[in-house]
Amino acid sequence: MANSGIELETNGGSKHWDSDSQPNASIPISTVALPPASNFHRAFQKIAHSVKIVIFTAKINVLLPFGPASIILHYLTNHHGVVFLCSLLGIIPLAERLGYATEQMAAYTGPTVGGLLNATFGNATEMIIAIYALKNGMIRVVQQSLLGSILSNMLLVLGCSFFAGGIVHYDKKEQIFNKGTAVVNSGLLLMAVMGLSFPAVLHFTHSEVRYGKSEVALSRFSSCIMLVAYGSYLFFQLSGRESSQYSRIDSQEGSDSDIQRQSQSQNSAEPEDEEEEPEIGLWESVAWLALLTLWVSILSEYLVNAIQGASESFKLPVAFISVILLPIVGNAAEHASAVMFAMKDKLDITLGVAIGSSTQISMFVIPFCVVVGWMMKKNMDLNFQLFETATLFITILVVAFMVQDGTANYLKGLMLVLCYLIVAASFFVHVDPSSSDD
Amino acid sequence: MMTSTEEEKTGLQEEAITINGSPMAVRKMQAFEHIGSLAAVAQSYGPRSVKSRILKSIYIVLIKAKINVLLPFGPLAVILHYLTGKHGWVFFFSLIGITPMAERLGYATEQLACYTGSTVGGLLNATFGNATEMIISIYALKNGMIRVVQQSLLGSILSNMLLVLGCAFFAGGLTHPHKDQDFNKASAVVNSGLLLMAVMGLLFPAVLHFTHSEVHYGKSEVTLSRFSSCVMLLAYASYLFFQLKSHRSLYNPIDSEVDGEQDAKEDNEEEEEPEITQWEAIVWLAVLTIWISILSGYLVDAIQGASESVNMPIAFISVILLPIVGNAAEHASAIMFAMKDKLDITLGVAIGSSTQISMFVIPFCVVIGWMMGKQMDLNFQLFETATLFITVLVVAFMLQEGTANYFKGLMLILCYLIVAASFFVHVDPTSDDN
Repeated sequence: MANSGIELETNGGSKHWDSDSQPNASIPISTVALPPASNFHRAFQKIAHSVKIVIFTAKINVLLPFGPASIILHYLTNHHGVVFLCSLLGIIPLAERLGYATEQMAAYTGPTVGGLLNATFGNATEMIIAIYALKNGMIRVVQQSLLGSILSNMLLVLGCSFFAGGIVHYDKKEQIFNKGTAVVNSGLLLMAVMGLSFPAVLHFTHSEVRYGKSEVALSRFSSCIMLVAYGSYLFFQLSGRESSQYSRIDSQEGSDSDIQRQSQSQNSAEPEDEEEEPEIGLWESVAWLALLTLWVSILSEYLVNAIQGASESFKLPVAFISVILLPIVGNAAEHASAVMFAMKDKLDITLGVAIGSSTQISMFVIPFCVVVGWMMKKNMDLNFQLFETATLFITILVVAFMVQDGTANYLKGLMLVLCYLIVAASFFVHVDPSSSDD
Repeated sequence: MMTSTEEEKTGLQEEAITINGSPMAVRKMQAFEHIGSLAAVAQSYGPRSVKSRILKSIYIVLIKAKINVLLPFGPLAVILHYLTGKHGWVFFFSLIGITPMAERLGYATEQLACYTGSTVGGLLNATFGNATEMIISIYALKNGMIRVVQQSLLGSILSNMLLVLGCAFFAGGLTHPHKDQDFNKASAVVNSGLLLMAVMGLLFPAVLHFTHSEVHYGKSEVTLSRFSSCVMLLAYASYLFFQLKSHRSLYNPIDSEVDGEQDAKEDNEEEEEPEITQWEAIVWLAVLTIWISILSGYLVDAIQGASESVNMPIAFISVILLPIVGNAAEHASAIMFAMKDKLDITLGVAIGSSTQISMFVIPFCVVIGWMMGKQMDLNFQLFETATLFITVLVVAFMLQEGTANYFKGLMLILCYLIVAASFFVHVDPTSDDN
């Protein structure tokens, strides 16, 4: 295993999807000065080193103890509110590490599988939380948390990124991003949301054939179609096209570093050092992926179980918790990375993360949850309430128009963040007309 | 006489080349060619009997095109109507029987347009382009099936924007893989903007009704609809004037601006070649229109029975099935042009047809209903109104970029499937059509 580590380091350039990366000078510690001891000792060292890299080097992991703390609290006390908050805080570092492990693994597997991995695990946290909520029959929580995830991506993540990037690059007045890609991606998102809205529109015009059953049937049909669309979307994106607009939207380092190399040669070394450098071995990343997914699942269960109690003890509507709080946690990692890229003036990656994540949720996670609900015999459908459907559609339309001109500044970011605050406030005073979640 | 026209032709061709293929020169050239071909045909008006010419004409129009294999379904439908009471069969047979006739109607219109020059040709295309839908709608109006009229016209717009465009993009993208097809962004944006405005104008009676804010419940929408329709017809007339007279240069497709001479010649070979004479074209136009009218009568009468026997909601039949038939010819030609990488024509067909329906056919039907004393109004149900507006908005947004590929086409088709599925489980809240 250590030998393969050395191989992969020196041949690093050929395995990355960004073929422009330069081989790194630093050598991982594990391949230097191995004591000629037993296999067990070596394995133990390797595990310890891996644990150190994954768990101890990232600063966000200071939040890790909240996870076990919430489990202990769940069994010792009955304070659902505290359990909820602790598990919320505990999931954040796990989600971030999950993203990290996915990136590391993608560095080894090449661009196609890497893109697929990113696409699948990118929203793993939301998917896991949604499936647990489905198991508990909390269908409204699932709908609201997924919808809130799209809203948070489009308004909060994008707004914070534009704002942060605008402040950092205050002298430049405006940051530029690839207009064509942004327009194409927002057009796709608009179509996906349109496809998702029809069961809701049908329900609210009181025009379905069999009240209650038709929307479920239509939702299931639409979800299968959306999954087909998502499959062709992945195929289309990953099958290598002439037009540069369709390079993988969340990993545009290749084209970006080309542009940078042409314009600013001194900065071209930076991105490769930070992003394409696998820090742990291939099997380690697979193992961490599995381990982190398991931890996230366990914590999610406690989280979901505590929602109802937390809502009562904090006097927050369940809608607010589902639409605002849950997605902020699920998106925390993407949020941080989007803001970071905006501050580095790489707005294309930011847009790819934000819009790409929203598109994945609307074209994959939501239909997938409907299909999973179908298999679990729960009546999960696409019938979001009228208020949420209208909010979603208006938001996407407005943001799609806003990214059309290809520039960003801090005021746009501020406006987006303020819009998100208004939306959050609306959900704070919102109850479902039916007001039943279980 | 022929040789002198040929000389004039070549002279004008050179002129055309030196003026960089400007449209006026190309059209002058075409006009002289028409005279030449008319002269050639005139020479055949001779001692040979009228009968053989009629037979030849019938052969060209009715037998040569492959789609005419569907022709026997028309008379079959009429026979079935009188022999059996099975409305389902009558409906489907007349549906299938109208398809080739709609296509031949488009063919005859094109042929006539070759003779009349571009202005009148454009007008002809504009009027007869949606003749089938207009005829079906007028019959349904006569029967008082107002909801069927509204739904079939709305479904025609939806089908044009989603299905026709989607299939064309998909087919074109598959034929030209690894490359995005380009189209003239400016005219696509202008046309979709016009369509959006037309749809907005049509929606106000519906919005008024659903916010329960009209002055005289039930009467206000009808009055508003009639007023809006007159305004829309005025808008349509000025749209025609704008397109065909004053701003014609805006509507040139990309390739005729780039290679004026080359593509003009190609176009001449493929499209401008009249196969039947002018009077034959007029006669066929009249004959086909009469046939379509007859079949439409039986079609409309059979809708109710078909809906009951096949167990489909009438909404589904009106919104999905009827427009697919009415648009079949445009559908085929749009796909063909997309595969030939002439996306501007495809977009012109799809968006132009939708614009014509929203700015001409729908208001025209309201006015006809006014004259017939029927209460036809623009008050589409909320679900259809929302669907229409969302669709036009989304497609207009998507066309802004100026490129097309098979994935966009696939997404459009899938959206159409979802819309069709929604109508399959949709009934009117009032659930009465007569």
